[in-house]
Amino acid sequence: MSNIAICAKNLTRDFDTVRAVDSLSLEIPQGIVFGFLGPNGAGKTTTIRMLAALIAPSSGEATVAGLHLGRENRAIRQHVGVLTETPGLYKRLSAIDNLLFFAKLYGVPEPRKQAERYLQLFELWDRRDDLAGSFSKGMRQKLAIARAMLHEPQILFLDEPTASLDPEAAKVVRDLIETLRTKERTIFLCTHNLDEADRLCDRVALFNTRLVAIGPPQELKERLYGRRTVIHLADPHPGLEDALKLSFIKKIERLDNTLVVSLSDPERENPILVSRLVELGAKVQFVNELRVSLEDLYLDLMEENNAST
Amino acid sequence: MHRLNVILLKEWRESLRNKMILFGAIFLPLFMVGAAVVMVYQGRGIDVPGAQIALFNTALMYFLILPAVIPLAIAAYSIIGEKEQGSLEPLLATPISDLELFLGKALASVIPALILTWGSFGLFLGLSIPLVGGIPPHVLTPPWIAAIFGLAPLLSLFSVGVTMLVSSRASDARAAYQVSSLAILPGIVPLIIYSSKKTLVSLFLVGLEGAVLIVASIIVLYFAIKVFRREQILTRWK
Ligand SMILES: Nc1ncnc2c1ncn2[C@@H]1O[C@H](COP(=O)(O)OP(=O)(O)OP(=O)(O)O)[C@@H](O)[C@H]1O
Ligand SMILES: [Mg+2]
Repeated sequence: MSNIAICAKNLTRDFDTVRAVDSLSLEIPQGIVFGFLGPNGAGKTTTIRMLAALIAPSSGEATVAGLHLGRENRAIRQHVGVLTETPGLYKRLSAIDNLLFFAKLYGVPEPRKQAERYLQLFELWDRRDDLAGSFSKGMRQKLAIARAMLHEPQILFLDEPTASLDPEAAKVVRDLIETLRTKERTIFLCTHNLDEADRLCDRVALFNTRLVAIGPPQELKERLYGRRTVIHLADPHPGLEDALKLSFIKKIERLDNTLVVSLSDPERENPILVSRLVELGAKVQFVNELRVSLEDLYLDLMEENNAST
Repeated sequence: MHRLNVILLKEWRESLRNKMILFGAIFLPLFMVGAAVVMVYQGRGIDVPGAQIALFNTALMYFLILPAVIPLAIAAYSIIGEKEQGSLEPLLATPISDLELFLGKALASVIPALILTWGSFGLFLGLSIPLVGGIPPHVLTPPWIAAIFGLAPLLSLFSVGVTMLVSSRASDARAAYQVSSLAILPGIVPLIIYSSKKTLVSLFLVGLEGAVLIVASIIVLYFAIKVFRREQILTRWK
């Protein structure tokens, strides 16, 4: 088996007059957590539905778990798990009956054992015989993720797993997702929570009907902002920037007592920068790397994208 | 086949927890059996030609209304219940085929409808034999047997097809139930009209009604199968 989990080429989906997904091409290696980020109506759910062989693309093609989308849809469904936007549990069935039903539909060899394993793993064991309708939102979400995992899928699609959960429940679910990643399993995570994506994802795609950017979060940030060092001085020391005269400084900004210096190789350049500052009589209090959040990146890129379309 | 069984068992497990369905599945048959027994009991000694026959025709009609009406509630609640719970998408994400889903939903209503119809008919026989002092006249003649065992399944199929179509469009189970009840009327009106007649049902009439139902069911089921495709369910259903 190749180690590409998902490969899409020009995947496009139209609904009557609306183009929900436009020529999406991407390649997702096996075993990573892939964040798929985009605003409401970006086409995230439509993308999941296409990749999970639930609805057909209008054009374009894809292989999912090494299987051809369109020709091997049934096999694809057997190899992927989907957490849909709403948990969609059977409220009149107990937690374990919900899981058993799906385990049997997926043809899991020992359905009861597997259902029980996940109930224990997800800490729902004590409530296994309670109706799913009596569960809290967080528990429902956990049960729904368990349901998507019963057949040990190679690829797990999670459509906004922590939306509408309180911070505590969201953390539980997030930690759970962390435990589901293995070398073989790829997790395709749609989320609005950029902090979550930053923490969980090895690679993210920013998407708004079309792909806006794709790459590891850190790399994307560096690509857009470069790397910056923040230096706090004890006093303003006017004219310091001009006196520095270091060729590797790409850009320098000042805010009162703070300098923000753009560098390409801070590990090598920072020590030189600091000693030069000291030489010039500056009283250096703190030296930090400026960290941009994925949120800043997202907002900037989306704005840029909106402006260009 | 295996998956179909899994779906059927789940449908029934859910249905058994639904009071509306249970109520319909228990009281309607009991009511029909009671009414039919009364008809037959009253008709037992009547000498007026035609009067006895009309009573018996009405009793027969009761057993043909059951297979048409019982699937309505089961199918409407099972399909709209899935919609309300948002459970169709996870279900469609499994490797079940569109046909398995369709058959699962259809058979989940048709099978109990037939079991209840035939069970009620058995109960009716069991109760009326001691009351009337023997098998009531006409009841085990070929037209009755053809109606109970031939027309009943066709009525169920027709009814289920109609309800599945209506339910794919509706978002409220009660509304779907009511619309479907109206929509199946053409299927049972001939029975109602005939039940007041004073001539015995004949094999010809049963066959005629059967032929009409076969055509109607094929049409309705054809469209229902078309509507029960993943793509349709996820993108077109309301
Ligand atoms: N069944 C449908 N019929 C018509 N249009 C649809 C259908 N499903 C989705 N769309 C349209 O496609 C676009 C993308 O929708 P989609 O649900 O994939 O977005 P999303 O990124 O998942 O949004 P959200 O963050 O709100 O969940 C939207 O404009 C939506 O209106
Ligand atoms: Mg969505």
